[in-house]
This record gives sequence, C-alpha cells and structure tokens, in this order.
Amino acid sequence: MKYFKLPDLGEGLPEAEIIEWHIAEGQCVETDQILVSVETAKAIIEIPSPQTGKVTHLFGQPGDTIHTGEPLLEFEGDEENDSGTVVGEIPQAQEQTATTDEFIIGAPSGSSHIRGESKATPAVRALAKRLNIDLNQIKGSGQNGLITPTDVEKTAKLDRAHGKASPLKGVRKHMALAMIKSHQEIVPVTINEDANIDIWPKNTDITFRLIHAIAQACKKVPEFNAWFDSSSLSRRIHSTITLGVAVDTPQGLFVPVLRDIGNRDQADLRNGLNLLREDVKNRTIPAKELQGATITLSNFGTIAGRYANPIIVPPQVAILGAGVIRQEPKVVNNEIIIQRIMPLSLSFDHRALTGGEAARFLMAILNDLQQETT
Amino acid sequence: MKHNVCLLEAVNLALASEMRKDEEVVILGEDVGVNGGVFRATANLRDEFGLKRVMDTPLAETMIAGVSIGMASQGLKPIAEIQFMGFIFPALEQIICHAARLRNRTRGRLSCPLVIRAPFGGGIHAPEHHSESTEALLAHIPGLKVVVPSSPARAYGLLLAAIRDPDPVIFLEPKRIYRSQQQEVEDNANALPIGSCFTLREGSDITLVSWGAMITETLSAAESLSNEGVNCEVIDVATISPLDVETILISVRKTGRLVIIHEAPRTGGVGADISAIVAEQALLDLQAPVVRVTGYDTVMPYFRLEKHYLPNSQDIIDAVKQTVEFV
Repeated sequence: MKYFKLPDLGEGLPEAEIIEWHIAEGQCVETDQILVSVETAKAIIEIPSPQTGKVTHLFGQPGDTIHTGEPLLEFEGDEENDSGTVVGEIPQAQEQTATTDEFIIGAPSGSSHIRGESKATPAVRALAKRLNIDLNQIKGSGQNGLITPTDVEKTAKLDRAHGKASPLKGVRKHMALAMIKSHQEIVPVTINEDANIDIWPKNTDITFRLIHAIAQACKKVPEFNAWFDSSSLSRRIHSTITLGVAVDTPQGLFVPVLRDIGNRDQADLRNGLNLLREDVKNRTIPAKELQGATITLSNFGTIAGRYANPIIVPPQVAILGAGVIRQEPKVVNNEIIIQRIMPLSLSFDHRALTGGEAARFLMAILNDLQQETT
Repeated sequence: MKHNVCLLEAVNLALASEMRKDEEVVILGEDVGVNGGVFRATANLRDEFGLKRVMDTPLAETMIAGVSIGMASQGLKPIAEIQFMGFIFPALEQIICHAARLRNRTRGRLSCPLVIRAPFGGGIHAPEHHSESTEALLAHIPGLKVVVPSSPARAYGLLLAAIRDPDPVIFLEPKRIYRSQQQEVEDNANALPIGSCFTLREGSDITLVSWGAMITETLSAAESLSNEGVNCEVIDVATISPLDVETILISVRKTGRLVIIHEAPRTGGVGADISAIVAEQALLDLQAPVVRVTGYDTVMPYFRLEKHYLPNSQDIIDAVKQTVEFV
C-alpha cells in the first residue's frame, strides 16, 4: 500500500478531524503502531498502522478534517494498486509470478483402499490397551471381522492363565501353512519297511545312498516324481528329478532342493548338498533354491526315531523318511546274525498313486539300498 | 486465453465470461456499477455490459435479495453482491423463506437460479461486521448451495458453475486471499463441479479438511509437517453444502486420522457436521479422535486481536501432532 486512507470508522461516519499525529514524516512505523488520533462525531479514535514501513508524507495537520477514503499518509516504495475504497487491508501476492493450480476433483484415484488393520470400536481398542492385548493377534468374531469385547476378554483370560502367545514368523509360519494345506488336501498312506544295509562298506555316505535310491526308484516308477493339482485333478510327471532335502535348523524347517539327481555323480551331489546345507545354516539361501521339489527326502535318522508318517507337501505326491540305523538280529541263511538295519517310511498321496505303485517304488528303493555300492 | 490473476480478478473474469455468453445474467449490488465494487470484483463490467445489466442498488440488502429472487423466478440469472457477509442478515428472510424454497413451494414450476456473492472471513484489519464466517448458518438451510473457493482457478470454475446452477447458490469469497496468490487461469468458460471436494495434496498419514482462506494455512502446515515425515492429505471442501462426504470418507479410511480447520466459531460449525459424519460412517477406520482447529466462540474481535482469533499454521501443526501421536 502506498497511500493509507482514512478507513471507515465503522459507524457510518463520513469524516474525522485530526487531533494529533503520533508519528512524523520520515519515521519508520510498525504494524498496529498508533499513527494518529482523530475525532469523529462520536468519539476520539486512535488509528493504527496497517503495515510496517517508512512514512514519507502526512496529509493534513491537527484540526484538518479528512473524509473516509481520503489519504491520511503515504508510505515509501510500494506501487499503488487500485484495491478500491475497501475498508481494511487486502494482503497482496508476494510474488507476481503466477503459480499453476494443481488439484484433483474429488478423491485421488486408487486411494479407495481400506486399511489392513484390525477393525474394532474405540471402546474395544481402549479395552485391549488396558488389558495389554495386541488387536492384530485377534481374529474378530463380530460382523465383518469386527473384534468384539468378548474376543479381547477371551484372549486376555488365556494370556493370564498361560502367558502370551507368540505369533509364528518366517519359515516357521511358512511350515505351518504348508502343513495345513497338506492336511486339507492330501490323502496320505505311509508304508514302513527296513533296509538291510549290513553289506555297506565303512564310511558309506548315507545321504548319498538314499538320494541314489530315490533316483533309481523314480526311474522305475515315474508316477512318484510328479505334481498333483487338486483343483483340476490333474498330474504332471516330471522328466527330471528335483529332490527336496529337509534340513533342520534352530529357526525351523528348510527344504532346499537338489536339481536333477538322476544324472549327477556322487561327488557332484555331495558337493551340492554341502553347499545347500551351508547356505541354509548361514540363512543366505536364495528363494529359488527352496522351490520346485518334485519329491522329498527327510533323513531324521541323524537325530532319533525309527518310523514316522512323513507329511507330503503339495503339489508333490511322495516323501521318504529314513530313521536311525540300528543293529538287529536277523535270520540270514537260517542263522541268526546281527545286521545293520535302516528303517524307512514312505508316504504317498493316494489320490495320485496306487498302493501297487507305492509297493513297487519301495521295492526299488530297497533293491538299490541293499546293494554293496552304487 | 490464459491470465495471470488473483482470486478477485478470477471472479471478475468469470463474471465477464458468463455475461458475454448469456445475456440473462445480470449483476446487482451496492457500488458494483460505477465503482466496480468495494474490492473491484465487478470492475469494468458496467462499461462493457451497460447499466441495465450491472445495477447499483441502495444500501438495502433485503431489497437486493428480494429483487434478485423476483428476477430469477422470471427467467433472469441475477448475481447479487452483498458487500460483506456481515451485511447479509437483513437478506436472510428473503433467502431462507423464498429463494431456498421456491422450487419446493411451486412443485418445480419456478426455480431460483440466483447467485449471491459475498466476501467473507477475517484477516484484513476490518472493523466490526466485516470479518465473520457464518457459512454454517447458510449450510443449515435446505435448498441453498454454499460454495467457497480457495484459489483463483477454483474461484473461476466454481463461480461459472454457480451462475449456471438452476438453484440458489451462496458464493462466499475469502477476502483475505483475494489478492494474495497469483495464478494462471485459462478463461475458457469451463466450470468446476459444485458438490465435490478438491484434493490439493495427497498423503497417507492424516487428512486435513478445510476451505476458504484457511486452505493457505493448512497447505503451509502440511508443507512443514512433510519435513518432519508426516504426510498430510489436504482436502479443500469447496462446497460446504451439499457436502462431498465420499471424498472425505475415502481419505479418512486411508489415513485413519482427521483434522478439520475452519475460521468460523467452533460451536455448530461445519466442522462439527463433518466430524459427526466421519464418526457415523468411518468410526472403525479412525485411529485417533477427530480434532477441530477453529475460531473461538466469541464475537470476531477488532483487528488488533484478529490474528489471535484466526487459526494459523502452527495451530494446525499442533493439532496434527496431537492426532498423529495419539496411541
């Protein structure tokens, strides 16, 4: 503003008489600093400065009458804008360069997603907070998954009696889900048999022998090296054998895969197996090395246990478990002698395989294992 | 043609544009003709369109509203200017009892395509009666649309829509930002929709809902908060009535947090209504109580205390932090 005009003093009074200037020409003033006292027909009014700036000229002396809208004083600098006979002061744009207006009519597209958090009323959230319950751990039993006060109280009661539940994470959670899927889909049958491995030379690589036996059996009964699709009731018989090897770790169960076990020699397989075990131990195993198994080996005999009912992971159709090798009296050539025995447990999916196929597969395993060497 | 204009000049552009297009559009009000309006919103219009279409009236708001309703019901499209919103009260009897219900009363035989423009809000060091924000009073009346632009481009597009609307629209211009922002506005006669919010800034942490001059403070707060890692979604309500509930709900369902900012007093304000709607329809998505940043339940103070009355960006930042930090 260049000229400060006598504002409308608010009572419809057209003029005022200057009583006293509180500032002089050349003086710098602050916003709201009292500039002048004027007398209207009704009162003496002090008029504050609308802005900060240097006053270059005062219009009128004490005793002069000024009409509403006439200039009272002049500020240095500013260009005069025709902002009308307006009362008050309209702030001006700081920069004269125009901005462009950016806005979206209505809501931005793609923002209609619903937050993934638990649904609970504020009262239920307050209850959960008071009882120290994490709502994300509760599945709501109310309408549309709404968590009810009863849900929270039930969880709190359980926690009080038995301590807090810790949610499964990572590989352990993955295992749980895979096992549930297996239990829901697969119709498993387990056959147990012992392999007499007394004939093996000392320091035979047990795992290699098991891998070799599976490869040989898959060649004899290719239906075991297959994937079964529950939804379409169809199966894929694979030409190469990809073996999942169950590896126990403190974090949980890992099943890395050994590719093409039907066409690799002992040194190559042993090397591959060692690399996988190392990767699993260091938790550096790439995800693709945990995928694509067509049949699985679980050698729990390194720890304890004789027979089991190993669980098949869909879409695979079979898993072979090997228990602890033991010595047992056996009848050989009508004599009772002590022999080394390896207990085997073969589970197969009866939707995809027949009992006969399974028995023939197991026989092929035994035949291969009971040779002195491969 | 593109113009570099402030909000006030955008209003003038829209008025001139629609008057050229539609000769039923006429303007009336105090000082709108020779003077061009106290703020110059109607500058040069009388020269271009003549005194039959740009009419100076006596200082009689009841008459301005009444005459306008008569004109509107008989086929004209009057745009009445109430010089300051604080002067609208004598006209309310005409607006509420006649303009708002003409369509209903005549079972649709008559409509009232009337626009009442009024500068509103504080922040310009004006005397009494010149700084109020009583939009809630008008939004409460069925049959009235209440529109508040917050930028030159939205003022242009929404005013065109208001003039073309077949029913009465109260068009409230935030005078504090009349000249505070220059924008490129294309004078292409394209209207913006009435009854729709405008999302000015996308964010995921909290929704800030405001309108009018408070949009400036809200955007400034959102900018500061983004430096502290809080991403605010800023929604300009723009149409106070009918309210675009859906846009607000979509945003709140996304962010789970809501702060409403308005200059008007808190009690019975539009913020209360928005807060109630969100409580009714998005309660389960809320992660924290809805907070309102508003003017006080007092008479709008004289200009020396005005800045204490008006919510500022720091008030908004404080409210956002309170909301975001609510566990």
